[in-house]
This record gives sequence, structure tokens and C-alpha cells, in this order.
Amino acid sequence: MVEKMPILEFSKVALSFGDTEVLKEIDLVLESGKFYTLLGPSGSGKSTILKLISGQLQADAGKIFFEGQVINDVPAEKRRVNTVFQNYSLFPNMNVFDNVAFGPRLKKMSEKDIQDKVKEMLGLVKLSGFERREISELSGGQQQRVAIARALANDPEVLLLDEPLSALDYKLRKELQQELRNIQKRLGITFVFVTHDQEEALAMSDWIFVMHDGLIQQNGTPEDIYDEPINHFVADFIGETNIVPGIMKHDYLVHFVGKDFENVDAGMRPNERVEVVLRPEDLDLTDPANGKLVVTIQDQLFRGDYYEITAVDDDMNTWQVQATNPATVGARVGLTFDPEDIHIMRYNESEAAFDARLESYEDEEAEAALQAAKDDQSQSGGQG
Amino acid sequence: MKKIRTPYLIVMFLILYLPILYLVFYSFNAGTTMKGFAGFSFKHYGELWQDTRLIDIVFETGIVALLSSLLATIIGTLGALAIFRVHRGAVKGALLSLNNVLLVSPDVIIGAAFLILFTTFKFSLGFVTVLLAHVAFSIPIVVLMVLPRLQEMNPDLVLAAQDLGARPTQVLGQVTIPAITPGIVAGFFMALTYSLDDFAVTFFVTGNGFSTLAVEIYSRARQGVSLEINALSALIFLFSLVIAVAYYFINRLNQRQKAPELREKVK
Amino acid sequence: MALSFKKQKQGFTSAYMGIYGLWLLAFVVLPLLLLLVESLQDQNHHFTLANYQAFFTSGSYLAMTFNSIWYAFLITVITLVFAYPTAYFLTTLKNKQFWLLLVILPTWINLLLKTYAFIGLLGQGGLVNSTLTAVGLHPMQLLFTDWSFLLVAAYVELPFMILPIFNALSDIDPLLTAASRDLGANSWQTLKKVIWPLSMPGVKAGIQAVFIPSLSLFMITRLIGGNRVITLGTAIEEHFLVTQNWAFGSTIGVILIVAMVITMLLTQDKQKGGRS
Repeated sequence: MVEKMPILEFSKVALSFGDTEVLKEIDLVLESGKFYTLLGPSGSGKSTILKLISGQLQADAGKIFFEGQVINDVPAEKRRVNTVFQNYSLFPNMNVFDNVAFGPRLKKMSEKDIQDKVKEMLGLVKLSGFERREISELSGGQQQRVAIARALANDPEVLLLDEPLSALDYKLRKELQQELRNIQKRLGITFVFVTHDQEEALAMSDWIFVMHDGLIQQNGTPEDIYDEPINHFVADFIGETNIVPGIMKHDYLVHFVGKDFENVDAGMRPNERVEVVLRPEDLDLTDPANGKLVVTIQDQLFRGDYYEITAVDDDMNTWQVQATNPATVGARVGLTFDPEDIHIMRYNESEAAFDARLESYEDEEAEAALQAAKDDQSQSGGQG
Repeated sequence: MKKIRTPYLIVMFLILYLPILYLVFYSFNAGTTMKGFAGFSFKHYGELWQDTRLIDIVFETGIVALLSSLLATIIGTLGALAIFRVHRGAVKGALLSLNNVLLVSPDVIIGAAFLILFTTFKFSLGFVTVLLAHVAFSIPIVVLMVLPRLQEMNPDLVLAAQDLGARPTQVLGQVTIPAITPGIVAGFFMALTYSLDDFAVTFFVTGNGFSTLAVEIYSRARQGVSLEINALSALIFLFSLVIAVAYYFINRLNQRQKAPELREKVK
Repeated sequence: MALSFKKQKQGFTSAYMGIYGLWLLAFVVLPLLLLLVESLQDQNHHFTLANYQAFFTSGSYLAMTFNSIWYAFLITVITLVFAYPTAYFLTTLKNKQFWLLLVILPTWINLLLKTYAFIGLLGQGGLVNSTLTAVGLHPMQLLFTDWSFLLVAAYVELPFMILPIFNALSDIDPLLTAASRDLGANSWQTLKKVIWPLSMPGVKAGIQAVFIPSLSLFMITRLIGGNRVITLGTAIEEHFLVTQNWAFGSTIGVILIVAMVITMLLTQDKQKGGRS
């Protein structure tokens, strides 16, 4: 893989408002042409990062690089980034055309070029023919499209999107997620998208930064973050989840809810206290005799494509289960799962340590798998 | 309560308009007083037409009102922008309190204080002092009309314009001013109303050479007035009525134009 | 290189503050200071407290102070009593903006013209007295009484009370009224428990808009009240423009301002106390 120069880089960037540390020494690297998402609850610092990139805020410490150049002191208007604001922030005194043409006009483009640019941008957001409409006549979804077109008309290298879809209804949000992703792919520029909606983040992003308390908790592809959350916060924030305390007796053997279970995690100290994660969709209901765990059904909600079942085990741990078939409230049932469905999280493990550990035993596993394959081959060869 | 609504409102509107209609009625009196109607005549309108002093005063009153409102609107809008951008609460509060001093002071005190001010600095009393006084007492109401508009304005609009590369002057001209225009217009009309309605302050700071309509009527009223004042009142009333009705219908027309678009949106 | 956006904006803001601040200093701070200085001088421009002493030892000025506040209070109460139902009924009308315009319209006719109309209405042989005669009653002396002053002052101030109350009432979410009715309140209870409390900001603004100008209606006392000096506003005008005793006129002015500042501070504290 060719090492590209990152388009944006944060090096130990920190910011405080009075006594509140909004960002605590953030490092991050963004490559050109990808769709990034900053995901976290409100107050986690995700919008602050956007404002540092756009220049609305100044960092207290650390360096921000744009294409290798430090831009801490570059004023907002000189940065090649544009923002799509949360509440659209369209100029109410201008129609659609004038809003989109705002940036190009300031750049003193010729009227012909402006016409072409606006036409192109409105086409991109599927609002061709809306040039003469007033902003007040547009629906929320249309307004958001205009806001996107307006920001893109300035030819930014990086487009910042601050929770742009949060005010829209579910169906429209889905539609625009798809379109934003398509626009990003077509233009090939970098998008930095801020949201508190984990579903949205998983659906759209090439790469996600999960933020909490002014720190990046974890970053990675949507699959990595969903399957291998690093800590309780990430596991809990990304999707529905069951988290119970456990003890990692030794590699590939974990003890929780009073029983030992085979699993696929390794690299911890023997008998280390850990947290065990089981996703509701990985749990299956069965009869009590065949269950790895025995639980009592407490409650059940129909969610359209599945039933959301809440159950308690004998230690009073609550379990969320997603099942295709309904269960009977009050019934005792068994829960089964595969060893690879168990995910182990260590307390206070840093992201770097986590990645290193994952790599070490995954290498081991790969070698083991390779060895097994060879053995297999030699066996079959022997037979043949 | 519906039962008493209509009669109550009819009585209130009668009371509001009785003195004005009374003036208008007697402007057509062939006699010379407001006691007893001696027959229909336009002669007081003729007298008014001959009274060049009064006509001049009407125009001068209008000029003072327009000019002072314009200046007060400009300074008041700048003041509102300045106050809006002050971030420290204590300073903001102090500025607003000072701004409101003239609004909550009785006119006689404003008039007296301005009279002392102008004589201390050897201004000769006349058009200039009246204009300065009107500008001065109209500024605070403009500030109070514009400031809420700035506060209601979505602050991201300024950020968005800046984000798209606009300079401060361009943000002000293309984003901020259009957003607060309703406040500026309201402030201008309030200033105009204050100026046209003022008597007490003008009475203190005007000299012998200059007079506004209110001051002129006051001095004439004490000697006993001729009915040409009624004729003038009738004309002013008619003028105000035309403006009010025109304003109302222009407003309605604008709303009507918006209506079909709204319907389209509902679809 | 051009100044950064931030720097340039800060520059503009300073300029605005400069222009506005100049006005504050020249036409707010300075005149009030001069008024204060003037009140602390004798005829030879020497420092003295004699004016204040004279004011507070004079029975007639103390009575006049009480009178001014009493009249202003009465005018405020009268306008409030008539204005509130008017504003309320207006908000329930279909074309309420049109009717509101009709309330505003009389304020565009100069105060002096309206006062002048009342000279005709209330005078001997005027509309009121001829009506009285027509129904068989004796004509009365209406002009140049305290009642005529109150009547004309209340008439002049009425629209300024209706307007803020109307605006406050219009701002009330109609769903709140519906909710109140839905919860079983009749229209009187809804008015008392929901609408009246929510319209208080308008009522307060109206009281301020009427009470303060009522202190300076010297022209009405002169033309309708019979040229008697009965309020502090009239007294200030008298001292400045008739007897040319500016120092004493300023003293009355300063006392009036101090009294108003105290009143406002007291009412502000009450508001805060009520909320906490």
C-alpha cells in the first residue's frame, strides 16, 4: 500500500473552556478521499474537533496539520474546508440559487461560471429546477440538500458535516445517508461527519472515531468497532449489548455467570478480571437442557423484523436477546452462543495495547490455522 | 364573554375616534368656533392654504422627523450591534441600563437636561438643537427594536457566511443586515412616531425662530384657535388613514402571494 | 495581507461602540450630570444644598410630589382597566392586525391636536354640555377641573397601554387556552389563571409606557387643567421656561429621577424574589 500524505492531522491537540477540558491531547490522522465519522454522545468533544478543523476555535495546545502544513494560526476563511451546519443555516433573505452562489460570487467568478457551478451542485443534490425557490418554501430535507450544495460549491478539500441529519425524520435520514455517501464517492473529497447516532455512523463511514469525555476511545472500520469494542463505553454506545463481569482463566477460556466458556481471545494475564460482551443478535433461544445459560423471560417487544426479548439469569444479570420467533413471558429457556461470539474487554486497556494484543494472538492463530491446514493436507494426502 | 365583546369594542373605538372625528366635523363649519355648527363650508381649508407659516411648520416638522429617525436608526443599529457583541454580562447590562435611561425618563426632565446641555455649550436654540434632541431620544428605542432581532438570529448564519469566504463587511451587508431588517424598519417607524408625537422636549430646546407643529398649536391654543387647525387635523388624519390602509393591504397582498406556495408545500 | 476576519470584525465593533458610546456620553451621561450640577448651585453658581432643603421643607412641593404620583397612578389604573379588555377582545377578532392598526392610528395625530379637540368637546357649548342640555340636565363646568385632566390624559395614553398588552396576549400559545379548557376551567378561570399571568410582561410594559409620560403632561394641565401648577412636570416647566429658576427646576428633576430609580430597583427585586 502506498503511504499517502494525510490531508489532516492532529498532534496532541487540547482545548479547555475555563475549567472544562473539552479535548485532552487528541491525535488523529485523516487520509484524503475518505468518509470519516466522529461518533459520540453530546459533550464528548466531537463538534469541537470540527470547529478546530474549520478554524472557528483555536487549540490551546498541540498542532493541526493540513496537507503537512501547520494551520493553527491560519484564519478560518483561508482554510480549504467548508461546513454543513446542523440547523442548515441557509440565508433566509436569499433564494436557493443565491444561497448556493454565495461562495462563488465572493470569489468573483464570472456569472456564467456561477450559473454552471450552481447548476452542477443542485444536480448533485437532486434539486435541479429549484433555483428560484425561496428557502421558506423548502422542506427540511430539501433545505439540508441546499446546505450541502452551498458548502460544496466552494470546492472544499474537506467537507465538515455537523450532525446534518439529526433534525430529519427516520425515512428521510436514511435516504440522505445513502446520498451523502454517494456524493462523497463521486467527488472523492474527504468528509468528516459528526453524529451521535451509532447506526448512522456504522452505515456511512469508512472509518469511525468514537469519542467520549474529550478523548478518542477507539477508531477503526465500522466492523472493527462493532465486533471488537475496546471498552465498556464503546461496547455500550455501539449497538445493543450484554456486558457481564468475568475472569479470563487462561488463553481461550473465560469464566462468567458461574461457568467456564471456551472463547477466542488471548493475551491476558492468567485469572485477569475482564468484561464479557455478548451481542443480542448472537444469542439464540433453546430449551433449558441444551442452553449454555438458563434464563427466565421477563419481557418481549415486537420490533418488526425481530423480537426484542429481555431475560434474567439466576444471578440476576439481564440479557437482551434478538429472536426471530416470539417467546413466552415467564418461561425458563436456555441461551446458546458460539465461542467466537464472546468478546473480552480488559479494564483500562489503551487502544495501542489493544491493537498490539489483538495482532499478536491473531498472528498466533493464523500460524496455528496454517499449521492445521498443512496437517489436514498431509493427512488427506496420506489417505489419498 | 362573546356577548359583551362587540359592544365593548364599539364603545372603545368610538371613544378613541370621537375627539378626532369631532375635529374633522368642525373643520367644515361655516362658523368660527367648535360650538354649534353654522353650516357646511370649506372656508377653513382656504384659510389653511393661505397660512404659509403653518404650512412651513408642517413641512419642517416632517423634515425633523424624517431626518432624526434616519440618523437615530443608523446610530441605534450600530449601537445594537456593539451591545450584541459585548460578551461580558456586566458590561452588557450597564450599557443596556444607560440605553434605557432616556426611555424611562419623563419628557420634561429630558427637555430640561438637554436645554442645560445646549446652553452650556452655547448652541443657539433652533432647528439644530431640536434635530439633535430628536435623534438623541429616538436612539434607545431603535436599539431596543434591533437588539432582539440580533439575538434571535441564528449565529451559525454568520459562521456559514464566513465559512464560505465572506469578509466582515460582506457578512454585515449580505447576512446580518437582511436578517435584522424588520427590527431596523420597526425602529425607524418608532423613531418617526416619537418625533412626530413629541411636544415636551421640543418645547424646551426650540428657540424663537423654529417651531414644530405641536409647539405651534400649543402657543396658538392658549390664545384661542381658529378652525384652520381643524382643517389641518382633518388632512393629517386623512393622510395617516391612507398610509395605514395602504400598509395593511400591501401586507395582505404579500401574504396572499405566499399562500399558494404554502399549499404546494403541503402536497 | 488583509486583516483576518476576526481582527477586522473587532475593528468594526470598536468603531460602532465608539459612535454609540459618544451618544451615550453626550446625550445621556452628560445632560444628567449637568442637571445634577445645576441643582447644586445658587444664583451665583456657588455650591449649595439650599434647593434640596427648600424642596423638602416646603409643604406645597411635597404635596405636589404626592399629587403627581397620585395622578400618574390614577391615569395608569384607568387606562389599564379599559385597555386590558380591549386588548383581549382584539386578539380574539379575525382580522386582528387591522383592528390593531386602528388603535395605533390615533397616536399618529399629535397629542396637542387631540388635547385641542377636548377643549371643544368639554367647553361651554361643546358636545358634552349640549348633550346634557338636550336631555334636560344643567350644563356643567367640565374644562379646567382635575377630572378633565384625568380624562384627557387617560385618553391620550390609552393606545400605549393597549399595544404592549395586545402583543403579550398574541404571544400566548392558543393551545394553552385549549389545554386549560380541556382540563375543565371555564373561560373566566382560564382568563384568571392562564391568560392574565402570561400577559403580565405586557401589562408591566404598558404600566411603564403610561406611568412615566403621565408625569410630564404639563401641556394638558395648562390647556385642560386650567393653567394650575399641580404636578411636578408642570413645576419643572414653570421653573425653566417661566420663572427662569433653572436650579430649582433641576432639583425637582433630580428628585424625580431618584424616586423613579428607587421604584424600579424595588420592583426588580420583587420580580427576582417572586421567581426564586
